[in-house]
Amino acid sequence: MLAYSLNRPVILERLGDDEEILLMMIDMYLQDVDNNCAALSSALAAGDQPTLLREVHTVKGLLATFADEDGAEMAAASESRLRAGDTNDVEAAIAAMQARLREVAEVLKREIGG
Amino acid sequence: MHTVLIIDDSEINLTLIKALVLKLGDCDPVLFDNPVKAFEWCKANVPDLVIVDYMMPDMDGLQFIAAFRALHGRNEIPVLMITANDQKDVRYEALMGGANDFLNKPIDRAEFSARSRNMLSLRTGQKYLADRASHLEAEVAARTADIRDREKELIFRISRAAEFRDPETGAHIQRMAYYSQVVARNLGLDGKQQRLILEAAPMHDVGKIGIPDYILLKPGKLTHDEFEIMKGHARLGHELLAGSSSETISAGAEIAISHHEKYDGSGYPHQLAGKSIPLFGRIVAVADVFDALTSERPYKKAWSLEDAVVFLEEGRGKHFDPMCVEAFLAGWDDVIKIRQRFQDEIAPQL
Repeated sequence: MLAYSLNRPVILERLGDDEEILLMMIDMYLQDVDNNCAALSSALAAGDQPTLLREVHTVKGLLATFADEDGAEMAAASESRLRAGDTNDVEAAIAAMQARLREVAEVLKREIGG
Repeated sequence: MHTVLIIDDSEINLTLIKALVLKLGDCDPVLFDNPVKAFEWCKANVPDLVIVDYMMPDMDGLQFIAAFRALHGRNEIPVLMITANDQKDVRYEALMGGANDFLNKPIDRAEFSARSRNMLSLRTGQKYLADRASHLEAEVAARTADIRDREKELIFRISRAAEFRDPETGAHIQRMAYYSQVVARNLGLDGKQQRLILEAAPMHDVGKIGIPDYILLKPGKLTHDEFEIMKGHARLGHELLAGSSSETISAGAEIAISHHEKYDGSGYPHQLAGKSIPLFGRIVAVADVFDALTSERPYKKAWSLEDAVVFLEEGRGKHFDPMCVEAFLAGWDDVIKIRQRFQDEIAPQL
C-alpha cells in the first residue's frame, strides 16, 4: 500500500471547490481520529462482531472521504471478510487500519500547518 | 424553507452533509447522530427531505425508512439513502423499503446537489398539489353550501307562495317542518334524514298553487265536487316537484303526494295503507294535522293542545301511523318550544 498523500484537487472537486468545507472536515477528522482508533480496539477486544463491522465500515467511508483509495480498499476488504464471518488475522487488519488512520491524520495536520 | 432531516452516526458526515444542505439554499437542516432519536423527532415533525446513512447502531437505514414510512403522512416524503456503490443488495432492499434515491460515499457535492434538489422539487410539487387539493375542496364545499342555501331559500319561498293563496301562514310551514323533524329524530332517523324532512316538509301543500281561488278560499264547507278538486293538490304538488335531481325536492314530491294518505287506507290520492305510505308522508301527516288543529283559521278557532293530542291518539292506526304519533308525543317539550318560536303573523295580503 502506498503512503498517503492528500489529493487536494480530487477532494475539492467532490466538495464543489469549497475550501471552507474541506478545512472543516480536516478539523473534524483530526478531532475524531483517536476516538475512531479507540472504537476499533474496543470492539475487537470485546469480540463484538457487529460493532466491529460497523466501525470498519465507518473507517472505510472516512478514508474514502479524504480520497485515500488504498486505505478505503483495505478497510473494504476487512469489512467483506468480517461480513462473511472470517476473523482470521483480524487483529492485524485492525492494527493496519489504525496505523493508516493516524498516517492520514499526520498528513492532514501538515496540510493545515498544525 | 425546506426542513432536511440528516441522520448519520458519523459526526464528520453529519457536518459535511449539513454544510452541503446549507449550500442548497432555503433549507433548514436538522441533524441526528442516532436514528432512534431521529425517529422520535419524526413522530412530531414532518421533514421535507430525509437523508439517512445505511450502517448505524441500534437501527440501520433500512429499519429507519420502514419505521418512518409507517408513520401517518410520511409515505410520500422523499428519502435519500447514503450507501457505498458496492452495496447493491442494500440498494435493492432500500428501494423496496421506500427509499427514493441514493447518495454515494464519498459524498460528491455535484451529485448531492442534483439529487437533493430533485427530491426537494418532488416535495414542493407534492405540497403544491396537496394545498391545491385542499383549497379546491374548501372552495367546492363553500360553493356547495351556497347552492344548498339558495335551494333552501327557494324551497321556502315556493312553499310560501302556495301558503299565500291559503289562509295558512308562513309560521305554519315552519312549525310543521320542525314538528316533522322532531318525529324523525324520535323515530331514530339519522341526522341527514332529519335535515331532509325539515327542508322538504314545507313543500307538502305546494300543489295548492293549482287549486282555483273559489275553492281554496271558500269560507264554508266544500261540496263533494269541490273537495275532489281540492284533493288534487296532492297530485299537483307531486307533478310540480317530481323528477328533480335535488334530494330535497324529490323528498318534497314524495311528501306532497303522500301526506293525505291515512294509515287505514282511507286517505287520498292512492288509498295507500300502513307502511305502504312513505315514511316521510306518515310523519308529515301527524305534524301537519296537529298544527292545523292548534292554529286559528278564518273559518275556525284554534283547538286546545289537549284536544289536539286526544285527536292524534284517537287517530292512531286509523288516520296516523301509531309509531309517528308516539314519536311526536315523545318530543312534546320540543313541540311546545317550536310553537313558541314560530308564532302566527298577520296573514299577508296579495
